Amino acid sequence: MNTERATVSVRDLKKFFFDESRGEVRAVDGVTFACQPGEVFGLLGANGAGKTTTLRVLSTVLKPTDGEASIMGHDVVAEPEAARESIGFYSASTALYPRLTARETLIFFARINHYPEARIEERVEALVDRFGIEEYGNARVEKLSSGMKQKVSIARTIAHDPPVLIFDEPTVGLDVLNALEMVKMIRELRSEGKTIIFSSHIMSEVEKLCDRIAIIHRGNLLALGTLESMREETGHHYLEDIFVDHVTRAEGLEGAAMGVAGELEGEEAP
Amino acid sequence: MNPRDIWILYTMELRSALRERAIVVYSILLPIFLYPVMLWVMFSGMTFIQGLNEGFTSRIALLEEAPAGHEALVDSLEARDDVQITRELEEEEALARIREGELDAVLSFESPGGDGAALPENFRTVVRYDRSESRSRTAGSRIEETVERYRDRWMVREAEALGMEEADRVLFRLASEDVSTEEDMGAMFLGMILPLFLIIMVAMGCFYPAVDTTAGERERSTWETLMTTSAARIDVVAAKYFYVATMGVSAGILNVLAMFVSIGAVMAPLLGGEGGISFRMPLLAVPVMIAGAAGLALMLSAAMMILASFARTFKDGQAMIQPVYIGAILFPILIGQQTDQTLTTGIAAIPVANVAMMVRDAINGIFLWPLILQSLAVNLAVVGLCLWVARWVLQFEDFLMGSFDGSFWRFAKDRLGSGRKEEEETA
Repeated sequence: MNTERATVSVRDLKKFFFDESRGEVRAVDGVTFACQPGEVFGLLGANGAGKTTTLRVLSTVLKPTDGEASIMGHDVVAEPEAARESIGFYSASTALYPRLTARETLIFFARINHYPEARIEERVEALVDRFGIEEYGNARVEKLSSGMKQKVSIARTIAHDPPVLIFDEPTVGLDVLNALEMVKMIRELRSEGKTIIFSSHIMSEVEKLCDRIAIIHRGNLLALGTLESMREETGHHYLEDIFVDHVTRAEGLEGAAMGVAGELEGEEAP
Repeated sequence: MNPRDIWILYTMELRSALRERAIVVYSILLPIFLYPVMLWVMFSGMTFIQGLNEGFTSRIALLEEAPAGHEALVDSLEARDDVQITRELEEEEALARIREGELDAVLSFESPGGDGAALPENFRTVVRYDRSESRSRTAGSRIEETVERYRDRWMVREAEALGMEEADRVLFRLASEDVSTEEDMGAMFLGMILPLFLIIMVAMGCFYPAVDTTAGERERSTWETLMTTSAARIDVVAAKYFYVATMGVSAGILNVLAMFVSIGAVMAPLLGGEGGISFRMPLLAVPVMIAGAAGLALMLSAAMMILASFARTFKDGQAMIQPVYIGAILFPILIGQQTDQTLTTGIAAIPVANVAMMVRDAINGIFLWPLILQSLAVNLAVVGLCLWVARWVLQFEDFLMGSFDGSFWRFAKDRLGSGRKEEEETA
């Protein structure tokens, strides 16, 4: 891994919460990784593994308890605004303003993320063309179908042309066609040289899309590498088997695979 | 703070708000149209009822004829176009008919009793009616008016027969004179009404935007979107705050202007027609009212936003800031009762009450500048306190992420009481 070229750098990152009933919860407990331009970096883990918490720390919504993280060389604690300026964050919980039109939405996000004022109009029109939203560009977002909203939402994520894009479970709640559209879009963005962090618990998506994969479980990074290197290391072909193998070993319990498979369906992040 | 970012967020909030029906209705249309329309409806309603009362005929049962020598009294009653006399009814039946609404009043004559009985031709007129019915009250008034006119004429005639001049028989007559001007009366009425309306409108103008930009943002899941933009947290909060305050101030100013436009045309006739009221106000009152409205809007916006930001839904947000809204209205209502009170050092130290009083003083042409400045300073101090609280609250991630489940008061109690501040603080 070439850390000198890293656009995203995370070192020994920790994030603990206090919960009335559970006491101290170690949502992220010493995670380290770095991402390069033109790479899709996959964060794979069950629900509650710490993926969203890691991404929220990277997007400066949460502050780390310990460790370091930086985006394009900007420390997320010391320079949160500069770090955020370099990212586009997309997740199921980042909705659009319903009363703005699609065009107004793109203009707003380009401006608030400090895209050069003189080039905003040109940028917005390019995005409108690229995502095919010309027809409903002047319609309010609340009037759009979910597919149209998804397009506008991706467009607003890249409105300021950030070098780093964070997609937190972007296909959750989408139908098959829209999910495929999303995956296609992420591939296109990779080809433009963007650094993409893609979190998911859907093995097939990660398998198809990610150049490198980090398996995260109970806040710990269990494995990090390409799919090929993981296959060689574990002797399993399918990512699902690789994932279960790592988690089982981490749990140190025989038959934990059943429990892990169960977790993939259920528990919410803290 | 980055003024450019604040401006971008502020204009986005305003644009978005002006497309929301509830905000447009409560912060713009209602302040302009509600009170003029309400006054017009009241005026029209009162005129209509007055017209009805004047138009109908009073049905009066006469239980017995007038005493001998006073037949003219009943004649003058019968001569009225608006009275219809019914005879040959028993007392019980007549009273029952009043209760059923078939009759309006019962008229009878009896001996005056006491010393009055010694006077020849003296008698007492007894009128029975139902005071809870306007028609019956009107019938009673018509009888009283007729009897009083008859008595006055009779006394003049008798006095003249005895050779008495008016000066000999009318002693210790009371002569009172109202020295207030038409402007004084107008200012008194405006002083009672305008502060209340102004404060209600400013509070209402802040209410929906405050909920929409905090709880509404969480409900629509746009809060996290905003948190991931490169705008600083403090700029986001400042822009939202300025937006809510703008809506509150504009609601107050629009309401005052609408009241000025409509008050002469609607309220003057309502309060006495041509007689004695003029709604003029010193020009200097306008900037004082605007300053008061602005201070109030800044204060209410901050308080409402802090409380509503703990709600997860619009509905919860409305419930959480209801106490501020009610509290803000109570002050002007209480102060409105004391029409001779002016701004004092004590009142100037009470937020909201000081605005109500300085506005009323200004309407009355009283400008106590040191106390007005003190009032504005007190309100700005409260704004400062609210902003400090907002900054403190923003330090907590469970608040930022919306995972804290409870009101501001519970949050403050938890954080200040349990000593977990250091542990959870992230800024």
